[in-house]
Amino acid sequence: MSVRVIRWADRLMLTALVFLFLFVVLFPFYWIMLSSFTPKYELFTIPPRYWFSTFTLENYQTLANNIPLVRYFINSLLFAAGSSLVSVATAFLASYALARIQFRGANVIFIAFVMSIALPQVGGLVPLFESFKATNLINTYHGLVILMSSLVLPFTIWILVPFLRQIPYEIEEAAIIDGARLPQLFWFITLPIMRPALATMLIINFIIAWNELIYPLVFATSGLNKTLSVGLVELAVQPTAGGGRPWDLLSAMSMVMIVPILLLVLFFQRMIVSGLTRGAVK
Amino acid sequence: MTQSPTTALAPAPARASRFRLTQRAKRNAILICLLLLPAVALRLFTAVYPFFNTIWLSFHDWNPAFPPQQFVGLKNFQALTRDTAVTSSVSFTVLFVLVSTMLEIVLGLVIALILNRAFFGRGAVRAINLIPWAIPMVVAAVGFRWMYDTQYGIINDLLHRTIGVKVPWLVDFWGARAAVIATNVWKSTPFVGLVLLAALQGVPHDLYEAGKVDGTNRVSAFFYITLPLIMPQVVTIGLFMVVWQLAAFDLVFAMTGGGPGFATQVLAYRIYQVAFTALNFGYASAISMVLFVVVGIASVIGLALFRKVEVSL
Repeated sequence: MSVRVIRWADRLMLTALVFLFLFVVLFPFYWIMLSSFTPKYELFTIPPRYWFSTFTLENYQTLANNIPLVRYFINSLLFAAGSSLVSVATAFLASYALARIQFRGANVIFIAFVMSIALPQVGGLVPLFESFKATNLINTYHGLVILMSSLVLPFTIWILVPFLRQIPYEIEEAAIIDGARLPQLFWFITLPIMRPALATMLIINFIIAWNELIYPLVFATSGLNKTLSVGLVELAVQPTAGGGRPWDLLSAMSMVMIVPILLLVLFFQRMIVSGLTRGAVK
Repeated sequence: MTQSPTTALAPAPARASRFRLTQRAKRNAILICLLLLPAVALRLFTAVYPFFNTIWLSFHDWNPAFPPQQFVGLKNFQALTRDTAVTSSVSFTVLFVLVSTMLEIVLGLVIALILNRAFFGRGAVRAINLIPWAIPMVVAAVGFRWMYDTQYGIINDLLHRTIGVKVPWLVDFWGARAAVIATNVWKSTPFVGLVLLAALQGVPHDLYEAGKVDGTNRVSAFFYITLPLIMPQVVTIGLFMVVWQLAAFDLVFAMTGGGPGFATQVLAYRIYQVAFTALNFGYASAISMVLFVVVGIASVIGLALFRKVEVSL
């Protein structure tokens, strides 16, 4: 009997904790979504409304009229996709050398890559700004992609090298004996074998780049090069007449930034989890 | 263990055969360089060179609007010690990182333990756990800033309904600090939970069975079996979060702008302001040196802990 009571109490507590967790995680999203569909004048009521009273899309309309929203969206998309592709491609080449070719110093180079994660991004901004000015890379697409792919490169290598090391070498060896050259070997053997890991890192790096603020903020200063993150921050910090914040526009813009990410998480949940946890668990 | 006859037929380990990729060491060396070149070039250009150049610049007066770069020795560093904006940002950065990391580890463990239990809808809850990690920090900062609003914010409304108080969150010194840390913890804890959940899943199940025979209950099993076994992952993610959060920028920039006063000023944001608002590149580099030193200290402590709990990279 008492065992049953304990088990029942245990179950109840677990359920309560799960619901508390869901509430804490999801409520901010609900609040942002609700605010984005609520007309401006209804946002500033005391007490605030917990449910839709007047559903409207006018916040999105005003937002699109005030800032080049579509342009920012495309910029974010291209920036994230380009950085993700370049970082995974370069990390793949480097990881192949580090995992497959035995040479003195391979492990030192690997550890140097991993340790460079610790160099704070913001600490290098001034010299980077100087060298970007000298090489005319400011406000260029490739300049931003260079910065961003370099930023996520160490983590990508950290994930790919152990992945590659655990794949048996025999298949590649057989292809080499059959006379495959390196490009053929990569294209027909190594890339297909590594597809799950590469796809995972493409998605993770895309998300990280989509969310990035500092690099676009500093190095994409002209109106047409800005990303969504920069646009959002500008709306959030720019002075306004009354001193208040345009919460109607901010919540609408937050939704524009979140929805693509939510779709990615929804579709690729398993892959993302495996990528994020591989580094910690071997 | 006796060796079974089949092991003789098993394929040789990959390491042993790697030498056969090319016959000539020379060709091999060229190949290695070519494969590593793009990655090494990227890191040298955007991380290593800027790091050393920042050290160089920190001993100079350098405002891009007034060109000649002048060597000034330790002047920037002397100014640092008298600059309240910098000293208070050092203290808040350290407080922010320590409190955040501790809460993230403790709450992350709780999340991991919950998500490791069997219950209806666990897959969906695990997916939801990914969302705070995946969304931009700037969105979290803006969303919480709205919720923390003193007059119209939902948090104050909930507080008012339940315990009858309203807190001027982002206007008050400690209120703003608590709000920033809470937002950071909200955003980062699920990621820590995710990593620790993977660690929990790696604990062999028969250990708990053995523990039951020895009379452990759930609490003692956690402290004597689970925690020691996942300690390497706890320390790894802890160091990662410390180093990463020391450079936190987005949250403070979008949520408080470092205010009220310098209450929530962090080093990364101060560096950005001094460099790109005041255009004081030399002084910004000196503040960057402070950040490098703090990150260095944290890394040394972390690596010492690594050795203690036997983490391998």
